[in-house]
Amino acid sequence: MINIDRTSKNLLRDVVGDITTSIGEENDKVAVVNADLMGTCRMRSFNKKFPDRCFNVGIAEQQMVSFAAGLAHEGFIPFAFTMAPFISMRACESVRDDVAYANANVRLMGTYAGVSGGISGATHWSVEDVGIMTSIPNITVIEISDPTEADQLLRQSLDQNGPFYFRYGIIPVPSIYKKNYHFEIGRAEVLNKGNDGAFIVSGVTVPYAIEASNRIEEKTGRHIMVIDMHTIKPIDRDAVMLAAETGNIVCAEDHNIYGGLGSQVAMVLAEEGLAVHFKNIGVPDRFVAMAHAPYLYHEFGYDAEGLEAAMMSMISEDK
Amino acid sequence: MKKCNTVEELQEAALKIRQNLLKLCHKENIHIGGDLSITDVMTVLWQYQMNYYPNDIHNENRDRFILSKGHASAVTSFNQAAIGCFSSDDVINEYATDGGRFSMHSCNLVNPYVEVSTGSLGHGFPIACGIAQALRLKNNTTSRVYVVMGDGEQCEGSIWEAATNAAKQRLGNLVSMVDNNGLEADGALKDVAGISSLADRYRVCGWNVVELNGNDIVEIKNAFDNLPAATSSIPTVFICHTTKGKGVSFMENQARWHAGKLDDEQYKKAVESLQNEYGVESIKK
Repeated sequence: MINIDRTSKNLLRDVVGDITTSIGEENDKVAVVNADLMGTCRMRSFNKKFPDRCFNVGIAEQQMVSFAAGLAHEGFIPFAFTMAPFISMRACESVRDDVAYANANVRLMGTYAGVSGGISGATHWSVEDVGIMTSIPNITVIEISDPTEADQLLRQSLDQNGPFYFRYGIIPVPSIYKKNYHFEIGRAEVLNKGNDGAFIVSGVTVPYAIEASNRIEEKTGRHIMVIDMHTIKPIDRDAVMLAAETGNIVCAEDHNIYGGLGSQVAMVLAEEGLAVHFKNIGVPDRFVAMAHAPYLYHEFGYDAEGLEAAMMSMISEDK
Repeated sequence: MKKCNTVEELQEAALKIRQNLLKLCHKENIHIGGDLSITDVMTVLWQYQMNYYPNDIHNENRDRFILSKGHASAVTSFNQAAIGCFSSDDVINEYATDGGRFSMHSCNLVNPYVEVSTGSLGHGFPIACGIAQALRLKNNTTSRVYVVMGDGEQCEGSIWEAATNAAKQRLGNLVSMVDNNGLEADGALKDVAGISSLADRYRVCGWNVVELNGNDIVEIKNAFDNLPAATSSIPTVFICHTTKGKGVSFMENQARWHAGKLDDEQYKKAVESLQNEYGVESIKK
């Protein structure tokens, strides 16, 4: 059982802002492109330190992405920042044609992932982005869950050539990993060990799954594995197969139930011929009125309580 | 690299490009109307103006060319052939073949002389802005970024996102050419898109606007000769007033020749038309 410090509250966009500035100090090829959300995306410090490498194109997401592709074409490593719904949909064709088709070395940075935008409502939620980005070749798709993970995965991405999409929400999240924890892009983190079931989760659902796993262990003594699938594409097939050994898998993500992590996991299970009990929890396939994110997580059943209930209903069928 | 120096040489070169376009159009369906309208501008650009090194295509000091109107891939390829990137026969033989280097739109995956793959409209121009910005960051004070757009393409919102940003960023190393032939796939630009006064639009955005007859080699060459230095702070746009299908009488100003293929009879007529227009004895071969 791993214990996470629920009292720690990290705002991932602050964290990503600091990391980007730090990366900019170490690598003078790193540039930042904004579309009038420099404050929202916490790029003011980067802009202050590196005004020559920080561009604001105005409220023009297509231009932001294509412009970033142009910078990459000339050897720079641009980070293009805006809200996840805008970069994945408003600028979708620019992402596909100008960044992915060209295999341009661009980091597409989407904050406001999932329903974390809460009372901003459906226009500012991003529950389609994983489906969109994973269906475009060349893009590595990553959802970050905590500061250490964000730091390592963002830095590691600089060792690779080609586009990345990073998604992260705006609500406070606890610290999960110790500072010296070692991550690898494409390798999932197996947190709680367990033989009775497995959560496969990403981003905001990771701490909820850990909490659910801990509660189940406390109440029933049964051990539930938690897998943080931070790299959604390319997915860690070995980790999915490891989870399948438990016989019970609950996937949960802050994304539409179609096209996201759960769909990717289901495909691996089917391709590997693995028969398991399987539940996919996410945002239901309908439009929902604006509300605060924690309320929505509860409604949609992927907060700790919902995940505990989903797993319990599954494993209580086991002898 | 073969270069033209005089107006006469360029006129001859442009005729050769048109002859090749007709040959190809006899064989395959191409965007012949828009290829012909921009032929003169492309010929002066590739065979006179641009610093480009076919044997050193990543040379840092090259000028960058972005075909934002991706449909004009054939006229681009024939100009690249003229300066030695490959042969005109390569273009004709491989065009629209499975595994070939040339097709309806330019693709960098198979043709390294394509700086940026294009096709969907409204993409090349904003990419060109990023490249121009990057050249500034690299302190490259001599290279320019040349981008060719269609006039129908000006309907795309991303064009004006980029036009605004380029002026704000003072990208005087960016030179765009709008093929203002007045026609798009569904008909006249003024009817389909309601676009007029392109020059005014760019002026309002803060661009250096040059209006010219885009089918007159003298005017085109003159416009390039008088470009502000790459270090200038205002981007330049040429509004190139052209005739769609230029040089082939039955294609001129006909929306139906936006794209097409010539049958034997049409090919013969088209070749004759070129002879009449440009006073050439016969088309070789």
